[in-house]
Amino acid sequence: MKRLQRRSLATFWTVLFFFYVPILVLVVNSFNASKFGGAWKGFTFKWYEKLFADHAIWQAMENTFAIALGATLASVVLGTLAALAISRWKGKIQSLHYGLLYTHLVLPDILMGISLLLFFISVGLDLSLFTVFLAHTTFCVSYVAMAVLGRLENFDGSLLEAASDLGATPWQTFWKVQFPLLLPGIAAGGLLAFTLSIDDFVITFFVNGAGSETLPVKIYGMIKRSRDLPKINALSTLMMCVTVLAVVASRMMQGLGTRQQQRDARAAASAASPASRQEGQGGRVRR
Amino acid sequence: MADFLQFQGVTKRFGPLTAVNHVTFGVQKGEFFSLLGPSGCGKTTLLRMLAGFDRPDEGKILLDGKDITGLPPDKRQVNTVFQNYALFPHLSIRDNIAFGLRLRRLPRAEIDERVDEMLGLVQLRGHASKKPTQLSGGQKQRVAIARALVLKPQVLLLDEPLAALDLKLRQHMQIELDEIHDRVGITFVYVTHDQGEAMGLADRIAVMRNGVVEQIDPPARIYESPRTSFVAAFIGDTNFFEGTVSRIVDHDYCDVDVEDLGTVRCWNDKHIRAGAKVYLSVRPEKLHLTHERPVDLHDGKVNVFPVTVYQKVYQGAWTRFWVRHGENADDCWELSVLQVHSRYLLDTTPISWDDKVWLSWHADDGYMLENYDERDETLLNHPTEPAVPDAPAATVAENAASAAQEVLDGSGR
Amino acid sequence: MAADVDRAGAGATPAVLEAPAPAVRRMGLLGRVRHHGAELLLTAPSFAWMTVFFVVPTVLVLLLAFRPTALDGGVGHGWTLQTWRTISNPNYPSIVWRTIWLSFAATALSIGIGLPCAFAMARIKAQWRPTFVGLVILPFWTSFLIRVFAWRLLLHPEGAISTFLHSTWTIFGWQFRFLEPQTTLLYNSFAVLLVMVYTYLPFAILPLYAAAEKFDFSLLEAAFDLGARPWRVFWRIFVPGVRAGVVSAVMMVLIPALGSYVIPDLVGGPNSEMVGNKIYQRALPDRNLPHASALSALLMLGVLLPPGVAWLATRKRHIGATDTDVVSAMSSPASNLGNSGGRRRNGVRS
Repeated sequence: MKRLQRRSLATFWTVLFFFYVPILVLVVNSFNASKFGGAWKGFTFKWYEKLFADHAIWQAMENTFAIALGATLASVVLGTLAALAISRWKGKIQSLHYGLLYTHLVLPDILMGISLLLFFISVGLDLSLFTVFLAHTTFCVSYVAMAVLGRLENFDGSLLEAASDLGATPWQTFWKVQFPLLLPGIAAGGLLAFTLSIDDFVITFFVNGAGSETLPVKIYGMIKRSRDLPKINALSTLMMCVTVLAVVASRMMQGLGTRQQQRDARAAASAASPASRQEGQGGRVRR
Repeated sequence: MADFLQFQGVTKRFGPLTAVNHVTFGVQKGEFFSLLGPSGCGKTTLLRMLAGFDRPDEGKILLDGKDITGLPPDKRQVNTVFQNYALFPHLSIRDNIAFGLRLRRLPRAEIDERVDEMLGLVQLRGHASKKPTQLSGGQKQRVAIARALVLKPQVLLLDEPLAALDLKLRQHMQIELDEIHDRVGITFVYVTHDQGEAMGLADRIAVMRNGVVEQIDPPARIYESPRTSFVAAFIGDTNFFEGTVSRIVDHDYCDVDVEDLGTVRCWNDKHIRAGAKVYLSVRPEKLHLTHERPVDLHDGKVNVFPVTVYQKVYQGAWTRFWVRHGENADDCWELSVLQVHSRYLLDTTPISWDDKVWLSWHADDGYMLENYDERDETLLNHPTEPAVPDAPAATVAENAASAAQEVLDGSGR
Repeated sequence: MAADVDRAGAGATPAVLEAPAPAVRRMGLLGRVRHHGAELLLTAPSFAWMTVFFVVPTVLVLLLAFRPTALDGGVGHGWTLQTWRTISNPNYPSIVWRTIWLSFAATALSIGIGLPCAFAMARIKAQWRPTFVGLVILPFWTSFLIRVFAWRLLLHPEGAISTFLHSTWTIFGWQFRFLEPQTTLLYNSFAVLLVMVYTYLPFAILPLYAAAEKFDFSLLEAAFDLGARPWRVFWRIFVPGVRAGVVSAVMMVLIPALGSYVIPDLVGGPNSEMVGNKIYQRALPDRNLPHASALSALLMLGVLLPPGVAWLATRKRHIGATDTDVVSAMSSPASNLGNSGGRRRNGVRS
């Protein structure tokens, strides 16, 4: 047992090394004066300076965030409705509905990209930021729906019964009980949609048009043209810092939440034990 | 006078299963009424139809003379205390209790006043601003009760409210529930599978099995005069005898011939005629074991048989014996006897394994059943399983069936 | 697949809103419209959206594969099998074959590496597990493109790894170098496979870890106690125990691997192209839409095959279980228990 554990742990650390090394090399190279980064040729900020001077990148970033925001909003609405419908009704329609969202989730990006491209061409829609928005919303809906469904599946149905038992109409039950409790799931789905939209390259690559480049498409172009490589290092490092900070922040917020819950649970447990002791001899205490 | 709450021929089916089958009974105003039965008996379905979560396929439910069968839950003056409490986790205790009042758009001051009153009733004044996760099980249960009671319902439904609590807390909450019921005077309908809770709390109990009410009576009558073998076996433990009435004695008693045992004298309150086949139920604690043959001081109203002790389990307050009458271990009478320890017993020689002793009981302690079902014998407390080859298979099938029915019965939990 | 099973398992959760369903039959026409109205209102938006932007485009792909190519880069009229004939020329089968073996190799490697990782993660103290999961996920919060790019830098002829492997080392007086200076690490199938494993490994580790966390490790102790060797215990007890995780890990890796486009495009060369690259070439630079469609249809078939099989398998099992439940519920105690009630008669008189 010990040996198995030691070996598997060694594999795990090796894998982590494998995961982090390319990224570390990239970060280090963003400060390397050498263009290809094979060897260390001195510390520099010049790639960052060049990066900040590149207006096309800032334009692409603007596009990226605009698309991500729009697609997130649209997909949160569509995905939440879909999840509610799927969890409430069990007919053939909902099986199909679920099947659509699920199949879309497993389909490779390139298939979504090519089929949407063909579709936009066929209906005569010019490729633009709008087509990118449509495409992003489409793949985000599935993720939001699955995130909310996950929350709904753990949902205690008796809470809804309790609400209607206390006199809430179905509408009130939804807004006063179900929605507030689903909110974390919806937020998680939205966050997922947002990050996926920001990160998406393949689908965007197929459906974007002139002037609607997003950041990944821009980066791809820079990689392909093999110019500005160090600038990509700098950009990547910045983007990583932002995402890591965002992840750490959200983790900490979650952590605060769970820690609060843990504290609550502990308080409840400690409250329970003296209480039950006292309640055990209830007659004497109270009379 | 018509009953405050009436079920009239209420039927509910889930696919091929009939969860509740033409149930008709009434509950009086202010009564503490309990629905008791094993899981899957239909008691929860009945409660859910009363609350409005399920709609009966047939029949009517009347509350205070009005038909409420088709009303949705939010239109009934009936509130429920859920088994898992169902407290809104995102709301504080105060907001949980005020939930229903706020929906009714009552003035703020009145809401505060009524919530405070309820917090006092369930002794949670200091916890008003806490969230449900910060409370212990017993406290959550009290919030659930307060939340339902604050709306002053015509009927309060309690669905196994104590099932999730540990034993000590359960005992304490029983007393508290009883006091709350006395104080608010609202009709309580209390669903449970725990006979102890039902016996201890209820004014009347409806014992249910397979979607049918088997008997409705006050607890003492349920225990002392069970109408069916199911009621006798489900509530407490008992011994069944099958026999034929051979003659009537003194108008109110009769002799019953029991195969391989002999003649048993029994109280004949139902005035059954000679020649009829009857089933008797005799509770284990009504049976006595003595080393000496007891002297009959009751003009032949004591039944006495020689038996052999073959199993004995000491249980603190009492000892449970299983005794045999008959020579052949494969074909004999096996009876369960409960002997409560009292000081005088300590003075006598303790009864032990393989002792040949006398078993006796008074004719008044045997009770004739109106309905007998062989299957109910499986509910009885018994040390050894009969050596029937397919018995385990049957038990598995029963478990599966009751599990399936439970799923349908408590659909949603 | 896993998600299907989950959903089936949670079928009974939302109870209230389900409750009116049996009553629909008695609600009359207006009630029926109203009842279904709510469902329609909630279902229509996403259903319509998915139909327009997923079903229709997919069908379009399948249809276009049977259209002729117009010379001006558009789609011609009429129907033809010409495209399919072109696809069976010798060039494509080798690409299809490469796509398949690279994807399967990446899947096998990911699972082979992922299993011990999952084992290790499930064996460490519970309080550390979220941190370890975080460590696995964190690098993948960076952009996918950037991760591929990082490898391109590493494998680049002037990059760190190349420099390291190409330089001459003197160890104990022996001159020696790992690779000849001319060998390129980039632009070959090996690079594609390496980066695929790098990219998809977390997708294998996470479901495997989820399964391993539920695994009862005392089974392993029992196996050791019975004298089994570590290797055997791992493969014969642990791996079958996390079978469900393996199945979903295969799905999570194999499907995106089959549809790879960016990885072979950025780190592969002309001899390591995959179907995805061809789809892109035919669709955008060549403007040969029927051709791109036919290749996409082929890829779609390949991608939907494995989950389809998995789904059919789980669905079958599920129906079986339901049948058993119903059967046992219907054959209630009555028939079976008749002869087990032997309290009075201890056994049958015989």
